[in-house]
Amino acid sequence: MGTKGRRPARATPERRDHAARRQAALLRLTTAIAAAADERAVYGSMVTGLHDEALGFNFIGVFLHDPATGDRVLQASRGWKDVPANWRVKRGEGISEQAIQDGRLHYTADVTRESRYLPSLNSGSEVDVPLRVDGETIGVLVVESSEPRAFGEEDFEILTAAANQASIAIGRARLFDTERRRAGEQQALLDTMRDLAGELELARVLQAVLERAVTLLGVTGGEVAIYDEERRELAVVASKNIGKDSTGTRIRPGEGAMGTVAESLEPLIIPSYHEWLGQSPQYADVMVHSVMAAPLLIGRRLVGAIATVHSDPARLFGGEDLRLLNLFAPQAAIAIENARLFDAERQRAEEQQALLDTMRDLAGELELSRVLQAVLERAVTLLGVTGGEVAIYDEDRQELEVVASEKIGKDSTGTRIRPGEGAMGTVAKTLEPLIIPSYHEWLGQSPQYADVMVHSVMAAPLLIGRRLVGAIATVHSDPARMFGGEDLRLLNLFAPQAAIAIENARLFTDSQRQREYFEALVSNSPVAIVSLDREYKILTCNPAFETLFGYSRQEVVGQDLDALITTEATREEAKGYTERAIRQPIHGFARRRRKDGSPVDVEVLGVPVLAEGSRVGLMALYHDITELLQARREAEAASQAKSQFLASMSHELRTPLNAIIGYSEMLQEEVGDLGQEALVPDLRKIHAAGRHLLSLINNVLDLSKIEAGKMDVYAETFEVNPMLEDVVATVRPLADRNANKLVVRAEGVLGSMHADLTKVRQILLNLLSNACKFTERGTVVLGALREPTPDGGGESMVFRVADTGIGMTPEQMERLFEAFAQAEASTTSTYGGTGLGLAITRRFCHLMGGDVQVESAAGRGSTFTVRLPVRMDGPVATAA
Amino acid sequence: MPKILLVEDNEMNRDMLSRRLMRRGYEVEMATDGLEGVTMAVAGTYDLVLMDMSLPGIDGWEATRRLRQAPETTTLPIIALTAHAMAGDRERALEAGCSDYDTKPVEFDRLLGKITALLSGGA
Repeated sequence: MGTKGRRPARATPERRDHAARRQAALLRLTTAIAAAADERAVYGSMVTGLHDEALGFNFIGVFLHDPATGDRVLQASRGWKDVPANWRVKRGEGISEQAIQDGRLHYTADVTRESRYLPSLNSGSEVDVPLRVDGETIGVLVVESSEPRAFGEEDFEILTAAANQASIAIGRARLFDTERRRAGEQQALLDTMRDLAGELELARVLQAVLERAVTLLGVTGGEVAIYDEERRELAVVASKNIGKDSTGTRIRPGEGAMGTVAESLEPLIIPSYHEWLGQSPQYADVMVHSVMAAPLLIGRRLVGAIATVHSDPARLFGGEDLRLLNLFAPQAAIAIENARLFDAERQRAEEQQALLDTMRDLAGELELSRVLQAVLERAVTLLGVTGGEVAIYDEDRQELEVVASEKIGKDSTGTRIRPGEGAMGTVAKTLEPLIIPSYHEWLGQSPQYADVMVHSVMAAPLLIGRRLVGAIATVHSDPARMFGGEDLRLLNLFAPQAAIAIENARLFTDSQRQREYFEALVSNSPVAIVSLDREYKILTCNPAFETLFGYSRQEVVGQDLDALITTEATREEAKGYTERAIRQPIHGFARRRRKDGSPVDVEVLGVPVLAEGSRVGLMALYHDITELLQARREAEAASQAKSQFLASMSHELRTPLNAIIGYSEMLQEEVGDLGQEALVPDLRKIHAAGRHLLSLINNVLDLSKIEAGKMDVYAETFEVNPMLEDVVATVRPLADRNANKLVVRAEGVLGSMHADLTKVRQILLNLLSNACKFTERGTVVLGALREPTPDGGGESMVFRVADTGIGMTPEQMERLFEAFAQAEASTTSTYGGTGLGLAITRRFCHLMGGDVQVESAAGRGSTFTVRLPVRMDGPVATAA
Repeated sequence: MPKILLVEDNEMNRDMLSRRLMRRGYEVEMATDGLEGVTMAVAGTYDLVLMDMSLPGIDGWEATRRLRQAPETTTLPIIALTAHAMAGDRERALEAGCSDYDTKPVEFDRLLGKITALLSGGA
């Protein structure tokens, strides 16, 4: 589900981690969208990205608004089965229409409250984000969750970012499509013209036209000129038999025969050229008698002129000649016009090609300075300018920084420019393009550019939406060249490319920085870290790994980890770890082998590596625990020695103690025979003290065995009732001593249980003797029943020992089961006991998979409850 | 009166236990190690053996196994006496062929109960 609202802004590690993950997801998403080749791919990568990033969205769909019908038409979706392709949501239906209408993000926390919601789609909450291209809403991104109120601020941020990136990509894809179509159309036009003209070289076409005209008209010769609109001159390009080769001659309108028809746009016959007042000095040396000239027109527009001449004074031009000339003139005019169109179109086609090339080159390139240098070079070539530069906007310092520079008279890379300073600073402030016809007269010039040889400047801001990301400037150092509207149009083709490149690079750099941070963490880690691919081959390792195992990174990359650092004996075990770790985290201790063959004891942690929701491999961490193990072995040896000492000590103590107990007991019997009854109380005291000392020794021995893990448990199957009778018989003398009533309450059929009989008896004896000891003239109840375990998987035997004695305070109960923790020191002197009974009782319960609990209040008695599994796990002994 | 063989290496235990048993009217003979115990039990006419388990030479378990193999003592009641309730000792004693088992230091009344039960059951 989406995150619940905004989290606290505190930068906890979880929060940083969370933010980093979302940022990484956003980067992958926007990069995928930006890399999409066409509009359809943009929709696909947007919904797939939002779905696969596991952000908790159940449905993601992109609808385009159909302006003709007002419907929304599904372009791509993820997350619902059975959604029809090209699904059409009618105008007026569904809640996603609002976003189209007002161009804003809409969040519906509970769609079931919306009358316009289409109830066929099982959903809880919905976010609709408009897709806007060139200021116009073209569609809507619809994201749903099956839970109500599933979305929060973070979701809105990520969805808005995805929609914005998609809008840029769609705009670019559409521009790309348009340009590609135009390029195609122009290519077709060029092909057609090539067919029509048959011959591409204008001069040869015109020469051919001229020669046919000369032959057909039976004239001496002639010439053809084309009109150069820019220079307002005719230029002779074909010439035949006029007494010299006039090709290249330039003629002003009004000058000579062709100049005259170029001005009048009417044909002209000059019967005697040498007597004509309008003759041109450039033709003073030609042997010409009469001349017929005509303008070459496309409609009323002059494209050139044609002239034919007779050098024979006997020949004159007449109406028939004019008619014939008029057959050829349009041919020449069309040829000229086609050639001009062809040149212009070829130029445009080159522009298109340059743009397409730039777009293609930039698609995969993420290194910013190279991208911007490429954009700049293309722009310089296409605009035919001297040079230029590109700067990116540093939001933190609020400055532009020049990152690409081309032929502006110095390398300006690294120059920092404040908004408002110079040409780029100005456009960064106004966010509008700017043309400066004469830079050195311009009042806004920056002192940083005082030394550059620049005549005129054209600059434009680089924008993502209305957000400034940089600036581009181009310059002419040639005073003859001026920037105009056409140049601005061309610059605007490149500016968005540069802007997108900067934006992508920024996202890329952020993630790069983050990756470098994590890489630093790994490489500085004292723990050996190695990552594996899905085939368990090593991808990389950190320096600690190299140190621990003695292999260099180059040696291990591509190798099988388990073959590298194991011996025959440990290989299978290591493989087992690896195979489990690709699915779930594992933890263990093992012995591995260094490169030099020496063994090393390690703690191993293995974790699966997930990327975009799928397992791509695993990571293993090794911590050298050789010293730790050594310390543990020493500690264990010490503990072993202690246990051994205690065991033999208690045995050695017990032997003389047995004599003390035995003889004092025997003497009590024998003194009666000897008539010395007065000695009996003293003998009884010796006997009791001996018994107490014995139980103390036994308990210390038990406890030390438990703590050394040496206490064995022998499970056997026994009937519960006889065991209870036996225990009660043992404890009854104790109960009688304090005048307590001892009651057994067995509920239901107890049957048999499978446990360590000796320990169960000891538990109950401990509890019952305590109860008898701390109760006077009261009641001690031993209860027992079977009950199912809470998980329902088995049965417990529950024993309850309740007394009406002195009870305990909560403080006393806290330390009750700790060793040597009788409530107070004075208790021991009043009530006797070793203070170990309950500690042993609880440990015995644990050993058999059960537990003991106590309820008590001072002066209100105590109840101890023991729960043991009816069948304990563990070694099974032969039944008694 | 029933005749009991007490196999016990510790002198004080032997002295104490034998005196108390005799006070109750039992006839008691004593062996100080496992081998002596087996020899006496097979040769003699005892109604019951009290067998300490930790004996020098052959221990109580081995001695019991040998008695069970000898035809004369196959069914002779043997009560094992072991040190403080080591759970394993009890099982091992029964496995070796002991009829019953009790712990040391001896709780005399309880031991008497076991002796009486075995003697009346075996009679």
